[in-house]
Amino acid sequence: MDIFAGLAHGFSVALMPSNLLWCLVGCFLGTIVGILPGLGPAATIAMLLPMTYSMSPTSGIIMLTGIYYGAKYGGSTTSILLNMPGESSSVVTCIDGYQMARKGRAGAALGIAAIASFIAGSFGIIALSVMAPPIAVFALSFSSPEYFALMALGLALVVLLAGDSLVKGLIALLVGLWLTSIGTDLFTSQSRFTFGQTSLLSGLDFMIVAIGVFAITEVLSSISDQEETQVLPVPKGFRNLLPNWEELKACRFAFANGSIVGFIIGVLPGAGASIASFISYGIERAFSRHPEKFGTGVPEGVAAPEGANNADTGGALIPLLTLGIPGGGTTAILLSALVLWGVKPGPLMMTESPDVFWGLVASLYIGNVMLLILNLPMVPLFAQILRIPVYILHPLIFGVSVIGAYSVAGRVFDILMLAGFGALGFAMARLKFPVAPLVLGFVLGDAMERALRQSLMMSQGDLSILISRPISAGMLIFAVGVLFLPLLPRFRRLKEAAS
Amino acid sequence: MTKSIFRDGDVIAGALTAALGTYITVTAARWDVMGPEGPGPGFFPVGYGIALIILSLILIFQRFTAARHTEEDRPFDWAGFRRAAITWVAFTASTALMPTLGFYISFGLLTLFLGLFVFEKPVKSALTAGVLSAVGFYLVFDMALDVSLPAGMLGF
Amino acid sequence: MNRRILLTTALAMGAALVAPAAHAQWKPTRPIELVVHSGPGGGNDVMGRALVSAIDEAKLSPVRIQVSNKVGGGGATAASYLSEKKGDPHVIGIFTSVWVTNPLVQQEANVSMRDLTPISLMVLEPALIVVRADSPYKAMAELMDAAKANPGKMKQSGGSPLARDALVRTVLQAKTGGRWAFISFPSGGERISALLGGHVDMMVIEPQEAGELIRSGKIRALAQVTDARLPDFKDIPTLKEAGFDVPNPPQPRGVVGPPGMAPDVLAYYVDLIARANKSAGWQKFLRDGILEENLLGPKETAEFLAKTETQMRGILTESGVKLVR
Repeated sequence: MDIFAGLAHGFSVALMPSNLLWCLVGCFLGTIVGILPGLGPAATIAMLLPMTYSMSPTSGIIMLTGIYYGAKYGGSTTSILLNMPGESSSVVTCIDGYQMARKGRAGAALGIAAIASFIAGSFGIIALSVMAPPIAVFALSFSSPEYFALMALGLALVVLLAGDSLVKGLIALLVGLWLTSIGTDLFTSQSRFTFGQTSLLSGLDFMIVAIGVFAITEVLSSISDQEETQVLPVPKGFRNLLPNWEELKACRFAFANGSIVGFIIGVLPGAGASIASFISYGIERAFSRHPEKFGTGVPEGVAAPEGANNADTGGALIPLLTLGIPGGGTTAILLSALVLWGVKPGPLMMTESPDVFWGLVASLYIGNVMLLILNLPMVPLFAQILRIPVYILHPLIFGVSVIGAYSVAGRVFDILMLAGFGALGFAMARLKFPVAPLVLGFVLGDAMERALRQSLMMSQGDLSILISRPISAGMLIFAVGVLFLPLLPRFRRLKEAAS
Repeated sequence: MTKSIFRDGDVIAGALTAALGTYITVTAARWDVMGPEGPGPGFFPVGYGIALIILSLILIFQRFTAARHTEEDRPFDWAGFRRAAITWVAFTASTALMPTLGFYISFGLLTLFLGLFVFEKPVKSALTAGVLSAVGFYLVFDMALDVSLPAGMLGF
Repeated sequence: MNRRILLTTALAMGAALVAPAAHAQWKPTRPIELVVHSGPGGGNDVMGRALVSAIDEAKLSPVRIQVSNKVGGGGATAASYLSEKKGDPHVIGIFTSVWVTNPLVQQEANVSMRDLTPISLMVLEPALIVVRADSPYKAMAELMDAAKANPGKMKQSGGSPLARDALVRTVLQAKTGGRWAFISFPSGGERISALLGGHVDMMVIEPQEAGELIRSGKIRALAQVTDARLPDFKDIPTLKEAGFDVPNPPQPRGVVGPPGMAPDVLAYYVDLIARANKSAGWQKFLRDGILEENLLGPKETAEFLAKTETQMRGILTESGVKLVR
């Protein structure tokens, strides 16, 4: 079946009233799951799976997938309003999104997140429907050396996140690398830095670190600075609650960047939405005309990562639907759902189950529009959360953070870790260490170490494997370029100072 | 007044991270750094451990050379720090209570405590906030969403 | 095998019938917590949820059974959680082979299966040895000869060094004298991608993961790591038939309870699992997942686990993993 016939058939399936309804239900649930911590898309889908046994496979997969991408839409809400990531892929959004909210542009930030999600999400879906099979082949050509180069590129971007002091930024990064290696070593089962604790064997969870150093730290800082009754200004009037033309214009490049970076990284089974959002943010900053303003609340800093984590959806569905390979927990559960319904995800699914395949793809287009319509009107409503007086709001953030941390593994231990990371973040803020490099080091460190060790095992210890492969070499050269980009003005200044 | 350089934030932080770097390097060096099948579990940590020591020393060194002209003489905000510290201790204590009292009661108590002692609200508003927050969370997360949270002796 | 199931079932039924006479039969009064050690979507979680929905569908339990994910430490978190619930009749868990191997190699994983109350072994997961479709190796012997001819050059993608795929490599290497690299990847998706992309030469894979890729001609199975041929893969020889008479490292999954489970409680769960095992929902799960049904009672399960532990000790020592217990 060729693409257009397939899509046409898909729309005829997806537009059936019952499927439309299930799509709406999925998107709505997904948005809620994304907004509320404590409920991840994977757990929600697992919980709802038995209820879908009686549905047709097409309706079932349409609804469950709606939860998957709807959650990515909703994840930015708490990032922007409370500096508390709702999903791991929305961590980067905290950096500029929360700063925008502090400047009274919370509504604008939420609006931009929704628009970026829509644009990049649509790009991902179009790319999925047009070039799924060739892209799947591309994804397979990615091996450990390429993953290493990708993570190295991500780490190089840290230099840009470092803020005033490069040394402090790098120290924060290294601490992040250390935190991520806590736990069992995959290759040898050696336990590292676990202090004899069973609870640390599986390592620290990204969400606990991120909620700790962002949300808990923010509450402690603002209590310490005694910010008065209302945390953040909320402008009056509907117009001020949505992004204005200048802000949208500033995001032009970010929309494209988020779309492409998010989609490409999404296709790779070994990466994931959080890595996509970090790299997209870094690239946005590297090529910005005012990189120094990142971190102070620029709209591009919201658009790029939010776009990337939604374009990631379209990418991540490609290996799932064309090869039967899940890239993460949520896609793994979608895969087991498909198997339960008797659909066989794999290379033959497109031809053997065209209803499910194309129906799902078409429902993604519809769902994406639904999400925009669902989310934009909620923006002014959500922005009102900031009117809650601090003596209620701050404990509320604590409560929500606790739920987020506890839901990771159901252990009180994790809540104590959360408190620990809150204290660490607070100390870092007082001592003027940036936290973003720490979080980035945490996300990338593990994957980077793994890729390096895998590469060297493949090449029997020969380092040239990293530079003898074109994609990997290209990315490493780009990473080196990124490293030197911001150093240039520094050197110039040094020279001037010397003469 | 000139502060002693040893009480400078960067110097303290640098000393701490240098100590962390030393711990990492020493611990990781005991594991296989390079095994017969490729780099071992100690390979990466030894690398970033040493880098951490070097960077920490640079941080301290920078402070000694540049201390004179970049020193900002804002006194440390002890009152603010105390408020944050009380908040943190209360938060941690409420967590420690969760296995006995359950999430909802601990959380209500935390809200009450912060309202009274950190935000210095009247008893009535703090109490209202505590009770309403706990009940609100119960309604949303337990009744509506069925999220499992630490349960206490009373079963919720 | 069939006789064993019959026997166990009869035993369980017998226990259930006899129990009331001996002492008041126990029945759950609160929702039961079913602990699994993987996150949503992981193998253990999928099995746990399938079991719960099979039980719900057949209305076998008077109370709700809720899956609770105690993720981490390759089962250590879940095992230590269970051990803390000593005597609590409303908590059970799903175990797999890592619950046996982990305590052997990790100091921190200090709860072994012997500390808990095994209830029933339910399934054995078979495995296949596969190569990419365009690989020059058409038979297991050719693959092994190539590995022997080029020591260290060939690569296998897999999971942790304690996982079954690594153990299969160890026994094969010991048998043939060949040597090849074992490259660990955290997720099944990455392992398969490495194989499909041609970055590694072989993989030990679960039949369900491989089924569609074999059917579409992307990969080829050379042998199955089973005692007898699976009905879905009738044309593929077992390792023994292919000329490699090695012990098959088992991948068991079953149900376990906290330490010190009272006999009447144990009898209740044994009966519940035996009936769940026969339910239509569970049988469909086994068929879809290409799993081998292998129901054992508590005593047989404990014996099986003890035997597995001895076998694992041998294989792990052989592969150079340091044992701590």
